[in-house]
Amino acid sequence: MSIIHIINLKKTYHDTEIPVHAVNGIDLTFEKGEFTAIVGPSGCGKTTLMNMIGGLEQPTSGKVVVDESDMSALSSNELIDFRLRNIGFVFQAFNLIPVLTAKENVEFIMQLQNWNRKEMDERTISLLKSVGLGDKLNSKPNQLSGGQQQRVAVARALASKPKFILADEPTANLDSTATNQLLEIMEKLNQEEHITFIFATHDQRVMDKARRVITLDDGKVISDVTKA
Amino acid sequence: MVLIKIAWRSIWRSKLRSAVVIFAIASGLLGGLFSSAWMNGMAQQRVKNTFVYEIGHMQMHHPEYAQNRDVKKTIKETKSKIEALKKTAGVKAVTQRVLVTGMSATANKNLGVNIIGVDPEQEKQVFQIYKRIDSASGNFFATERRNPIVISRALADELKAKLKSKIVLTFQDYKGEITGAAFKVSGIYKTDNNPWDKMHVFVRNDDLRRVLELPQDESHEIVMLLDDFEQAAVIEPGLQVKYPDTKVEGWAEISPYLSLMSGYMDTMMGLFMAIILGALGFGIVNTMLMVVLERTRELGMLMAIGMTKRRVFVMIMLETIFLALVGAVIGEILSMALINYYNKSGIDLSFVGEGMESVGYAAITYPMLEGFRYVQITILVIVTGVAASIYPAWKALRLHPAEAIRSL
Repeated sequence: MSIIHIINLKKTYHDTEIPVHAVNGIDLTFEKGEFTAIVGPSGCGKTTLMNMIGGLEQPTSGKVVVDESDMSALSSNELIDFRLRNIGFVFQAFNLIPVLTAKENVEFIMQLQNWNRKEMDERTISLLKSVGLGDKLNSKPNQLSGGQQQRVAVARALASKPKFILADEPTANLDSTATNQLLEIMEKLNQEEHITFIFATHDQRVMDKARRVITLDDGKVISDVTKA
Repeated sequence: MVLIKIAWRSIWRSKLRSAVVIFAIASGLLGGLFSSAWMNGMAQQRVKNTFVYEIGHMQMHHPEYAQNRDVKKTIKETKSKIEALKKTAGVKAVTQRVLVTGMSATANKNLGVNIIGVDPEQEKQVFQIYKRIDSASGNFFATERRNPIVISRALADELKAKLKSKIVLTFQDYKGEITGAAFKVSGIYKTDNNPWDKMHVFVRNDDLRRVLELPQDESHEIVMLLDDFEQAAVIEPGLQVKYPDTKVEGWAEISPYLSLMSGYMDTMMGLFMAIILGALGFGIVNTMLMVVLERTRELGMLMAIGMTKRRVFVMIMLETIFLALVGAVIGEILSMALINYYNKSGIDLSFVGEGMESVGYAAITYPMLEGFRYVQITILVIVTGVAASIYPAWKALRLHPAEAIRSL
């Protein structure tokens, strides 16, 4: 079942004298339960594509349709609410709110959605356990390693039961042990709970784990390979 | 709730920077509140002194007496009026006075004075001049002798008079004839109002009445002390209707300066605090702008994961208000402690006491601030916090999540 349709998507920046076509006519479809890596050299348009899939940037032309909702037709406030309810984000760094504990960071998304306290507590603890941080509930981000922080970010991204998770260079600041741990957790969540993950990455280890690898160059898809 | 938590904890992220802002707010409020309390204390003392030494809370005169202080313009049937006034609700004590303007003379000097004829026992119920005579300076008509006079230290110095000195008072009597009598100094008082002291001498009203040839049961002035001075304007109209042959006036009419001073103090304190908080407000704006700049990525991330602009705005506003309130609470506690300490011990300005007393203020002042002032200041601080947060919060709202996340 496809959850994301990208139709002739284009994004052109006019910040410089010469327009930059960051995304230049991309058509893609993502199915539920995918574990996909979008790869390519720096400046190929990975982050711009991810931002448009996540509703953080509006396309110059084309459409991103998530579960039959055309994101370009949503108002600014509707888009914020859409992101809150449908998309989980994991960023490269500065992912967590530094003044909140791991548990509070995960709860944050649910509090924005007015969950009741009991359900929120149960889900938060269960999510943190699933990412191997059941014993770090009350640790602040500065008391956690980079890998542990990213795992809290994954738990937070899952908190509101999103349709898919966008992870932009999630392993860029991690050592290999932390990267492996993080990837194993995400792969397990994907396989056991059918959570859709879309990565933008340079990291070969992520590409190796991904079942589908989409390669971009100059804002275009140059290959789209699904592993057997 | 989570926004309150984030805002509160965020204050303590940069402890030094927050401490500097909190210290600035606390010290600004301490300075402002203490100065206000000092001015307020001086003004309150001045008002209280005016009541207990000079005018009482309410006065009654012949309707035309104020025009030229004619000795013939008297209140009739004073005895029955006083008895009735004593029974009036809200009236604590009543006294009558015989008044005349004349000259006081010793062998050394002549000076113009207001001569006040008093009934000593009644007078003590309303006025407290008797408390301002120290043990070495005689007493307030404790003697049975004829023609005692109580004068001020300031007048005694001018006339070179001392206890038991003879002072001759001359004035116009009830028939318009110049008359006079010799009085012996039986007490020397001193209030905090030097100019007033120099102008007022006290004699027994029977002595003055006799020399003036003023009929019995007539006086120039009836003075009332009320249970609550602020009730003067409430009680006055009823008395005026009841005694149409007199003019009844409350303290605010007798001494408009006093009511003016009260309003003036309110305005001054408001202005003073507004200037201090306004200046502090700019400091807070600056700090919060730095906060927004430093947290660009974090704010971008919050907006990206689904925090609405309204919530971001509220979060920045709450953080600003909390920062201001912490400073305010510390400043108010310190102010309260300092004001209470000096309210008991007083601030001794004796080294400029003469100057203070020459304009009617005591040399020792007792700072005083009513409880509701602290509430007012707290509200003002919150308003300042809200105002100071608007620009930084607006800057935060202009952030574009995708760009903010990528920013360095």
